[in-house]
Amino acid sequence: MSSYLSWWMGALALSGVVIGFWFAVGRPLGVSGSWARIIMWREDKSIQAAEAPFRDNPAMLQDALMKATIAHFGEQAVYDTMARSKGIPAEELAAPGKKGVQNKASWTMHATFLVTLILGGLAATMLMGQFQPTFTLGELHTRMFGTGMGYLMTLFFGGAMVGFGTQLAGGCTSGHGLSGCSRLVPASLIATAAFFGTAVIVSFILYFTSGAGA
Amino acid sequence: MISKTAQQHIWYGVFGILMGGTLSLVGFTDFSEVHGMFTFSDFRLLFLFAATVALTMAGFGLLARNANIPKKSFNKGTVPGSILFGAGWAITGACPSIALVQLGEGKFIAVVTLLGIMFGVWGYRKLAAGGMQLDTGVCGEA
Repeated sequence: MSSYLSWWMGALALSGVVIGFWFAVGRPLGVSGSWARIIMWREDKSIQAAEAPFRDNPAMLQDALMKATIAHFGEQAVYDTMARSKGIPAEELAAPGKKGVQNKASWTMHATFLVTLILGGLAATMLMGQFQPTFTLGELHTRMFGTGMGYLMTLFFGGAMVGFGTQLAGGCTSGHGLSGCSRLVPASLIATAAFFGTAVIVSFILYFTSGAGA
Repeated sequence: MISKTAQQHIWYGVFGILMGGTLSLVGFTDFSEVHGMFTFSDFRLLFLFAATVALTMAGFGLLARNANIPKKSFNKGTVPGSILFGAGWAITGACPSIALVQLGEGKFIAVVTLLGIMFGVWGYRKLAAGGMQLDTGVCGEA
């Protein structure tokens, strides 16, 4: 099955997705973030609900912020600061999506994204006439990990490493690797080097221990 | 006239399908292709990844030079987390999006990987919430 797209066609399509995503939704693409929001959807929902009145009403947000500021610093300090910072229109500071409550994507948007990723895989294989249900990841993978319970355990704990690792690292192939590296974000460059380097080492270990190299 | 929220749902859906379809068509969901990339026996996906980064860089430079795109910050979890992720990727052939696309392709065994990912994400969130100060922020959350 070497009917895959050439590297440059794939790169054109994939970079189009990364850039298009930013222009369409105004947030950088990142799949592990979507996972986090869905797994924690219950907490997410309560935070969203608590923020909602402020999100829709910048004046209310401003009032609440002012109240908290006065409580913390005292009234005089607030007047002083306001006098000093004249020239900055207050409504600009409170404009939604700018400096006010961040307009986060809801967990249902992230859920839509993950479900349609599945549909994308289905559509592509259907389109190519290659849809064929299987219960393995191919001959090479079964040669490395066998079948049965051990195989299932390998996939489960491998998956858990992916899940836990991407959360701890704050990103994955899309968030760090594509969105981050393309803008030369230092943390993303380091993260990408670390996960790619580790994957190379582990893959070589698998290659030699599975006899695939013999 | 559809609401802004509905519009965003639609965009997330459109890009989910486009991204899932692309990842499938380029073979990023095929374990042997990914293994070939990591053992440098096949440079196609390696070139593809590098070219995607380069094109995205050029695209953002041309189209969104002044956009204030959120940047991730480095913290103590970045490297250990990435190492854990890299090992898991080499073993399962899956990063967080790939397992989903594999499922769509009819590789039903990916359900096990997905359960593992969910377990890992959930476990991390519980530990982070439990005051272990692991919370490092996540991608796409802006």
